[in-house]
Amino acid sequence: MKSLAELAKIREQMRDKISLREGSNSTRIVVGMATCGIAAGARPVLNAFVEEISKEGLAATVTVTQTGCIGICQYEPVVEVFESGKEKVTYVKMTADRAKRVVAEHIKGGKIVSEYTIGNTKA
Amino acid sequence: MIRSHVLVCGGTGCTSSGSVAMGEKLENELIARGLDDEIKVVRTGCFGLCALGPIMIVYPEGTFYSHVTLDDIPEIVEEHLLKGRVVERLIYNDTGKELNHHEVFSLNDTGFYKKQKRLALRNCGVINPESIDEYIAMDGYAALGKALTEMTPAQVIQTIKDSGLRGRGGGGFSTGTKWDFAAKSVSDKKYVVCNGDEGDPGAFMDRSVLEGDPHTVLEAMAIAGYAIGADEGYIYVRAEYPIAVARLQIAINQAREYGLLGKDIFSSGFNFDVQLRLEIGRAHV
Repeated sequence: MKSLAELAKIREQMRDKISLREGSNSTRIVVGMATCGIAAGARPVLNAFVEEISKEGLAATVTVTQTGCIGICQYEPVVEVFESGKEKVTYVKMTADRAKRVVAEHIKGGKIVSEYTIGNTKA
Repeated sequence: MIRSHVLVCGGTGCTSSGSVAMGEKLENELIARGLDDEIKVVRTGCFGLCALGPIMIVYPEGTFYSHVTLDDIPEIVEEHLLKGRVVERLIYNDTGKELNHHEVFSLNDTGFYKKQKRLALRNCGVINPESIDEYIAMDGYAALGKALTEMTPAQVIQTIKDSGLRGRGGGGFSTGTKWDFAAKSVSDKKYVVCNGDEGDPGAFMDRSVLEGDPHTVLEAMAIAGYAIGADEGYIYVRAEYPIAVARLQIAINQAREYGLLGKDIFSSGFNFDVQLRLEIGRAHV
């Protein structure tokens, strides 16, 4: 190790990888992963969120996690976004591509993708 | 892309209650389910709740499972890791409160951990002690870097004095004063000796830090070496602590490989290396 910069570089690279273990992030993206969600394709959605959050360098502030059935199986895959001090946003019928857009516009840009939300979707 | 880390305690307490086999079964189960590229199993040092071992923590939720048996593993994988449903019957809950369905109940919610602020053991149970990169991610070796590049040995000693740090062996002697004496002692050759032979019956604190966070011991020894003018360190450790011995040796090798032990550390001209010495027998009176 020849310089502090070299050490800082390793620290930055590793930070994202272990930030999962801090669990105190202010934003949580929760993907419904019960039988209904998995059958409807929640797994690629979950993985797309994890990848996009990491790619955008947001892993230190955004947690991507999973939950069981929320009870609206016909809308699966269901994704809920919790941000501190804001009302929960429920996205339905999600896909990996929709996940990318939610990360870009909502998580990064602060603008809810209203066309994917439960209020704007017909069963 | 990894979305979840499952921490399996690899400290002595949990190892003796079966955590090695538990970790292996967990890995096999993840492979069988095709989840091994999404979920990573990390073996850590001691979490401090050995009586409830083997224990397991699932992140990012922070779910704390205790008394996990091999038979519980398929259920944890199927229910929690695959479907996102916490296995409530295995959650450690000492609060007397009933858990709400889907409630995130993490380590810091338990009565045992809520009031704890771990300092010397801050990384134990959090990082993989066999990974220097994880230690660096938790700001490891940054203090050594700062001392070597921005401070004189006298400033390091003053900082330690000001911190009020004392020896933890019972005498409570001021660490800064001790380093000051050692720095002022005139000699061509000085050593830093770390006594990892805790002889008091039932004492486990040296063992916990050596097993759970060995790099913190190496970093501290290097800082002490810089402060007092030593270029060599020895750790004397109990031979009855096989996990501590193995992890220390791994840590020494990794630190040498990264040039955090050895010659001209951080291009400062400071050299420091550490060797292990195992106890070869002692008389207990």
